[in-house]
Amino acid sequence: MFTRMSDIDRLFGTMNLLQRKLDTLYGDYARPSAYKWDLESAAPRTNLYEHDDNFEIRAEVPGLEKDDLNVKIQGNYLEISGKRHSDAPEGYKVHKTERGVGSFSRSFTLPADVDSTEVDATLKNGVLCLTLPKHEAAKPKKISIN
Amino acid sequence: MDKAKEIAKQEEKNIEKTREMYEATPAVDIYENENEILLHADMPGVVKDDISVDIDNGTLSISGVRKLETEGAVTYEEFSDVEYIRSFSVPQTIDVEKVEAELKSGVLRLHLPKSEAAKPRQIEIKTA
Repeated sequence: MFTRMSDIDRLFGTMNLLQRKLDTLYGDYARPSAYKWDLESAAPRTNLYEHDDNFEIRAEVPGLEKDDLNVKIQGNYLEISGKRHSDAPEGYKVHKTERGVGSFSRSFTLPADVDSTEVDATLKNGVLCLTLPKHEAAKPKKISIN
Repeated sequence: MDKAKEIAKQEEKNIEKTREMYEATPAVDIYENENEILLHADMPGVVKDDISVDIDNGTLSISGVRKLETEGAVTYEEFSDVEYIRSFSVPQTIDVEKVEAELKSGVLRLHLPKSEAAKPRQIEIKTA
């Protein structure tokens, strides 16, 4: 069954994903529940879009600066890791700390190989945006009919 | 009116309703010292113009709308357009005129200064 924590983490991740889908589905009628399955680490939520020539990854990383983030690519393997520092001011009494701190790492297997030399990464308003051009072999080719 | 009819009527009423945006509760940190209360809220992807902060009758409401400009086929999506909404009760001792807000890399930071009257004061004891 589950041999490693990461398996359970992945399972919960899937359940969270399902829950978010359901939340969106019923979003018109009820306020979505804020409940989250535990264990899901501070790993940022991510979207993956596919265009003809590239993939686009977006990740929520509020409060992180570009020096706090690391992106590694090898073939079709992508890893986003980083560290979220506490921005708690000195000498203040703490009432609530919901914003998690600490390191995270998340890896993806992209649907196709990407050209790691041409990757473009931008960080704007707390959203990391990666544009990953597909490797030549993975690009769609138009076949002309004779 | 029987129930089936009632349900049918409800649906008719809703037919023109446009889709509301998915609402989310932003995670916040709240700190306090003698001079002010600080509130930090995570709102990734929200731009300055789409944020509103209101203080009315002892209630602080923050709201931020995120509009993602997306194109291409979605392979998977874990976050989307969302409206971050959250309200807090603030004590009357907050000086509403002097509240400051800043937005940096998706984090909204509010400074809520306490009014002079509410600050703790050291009372000097005079010897007779």
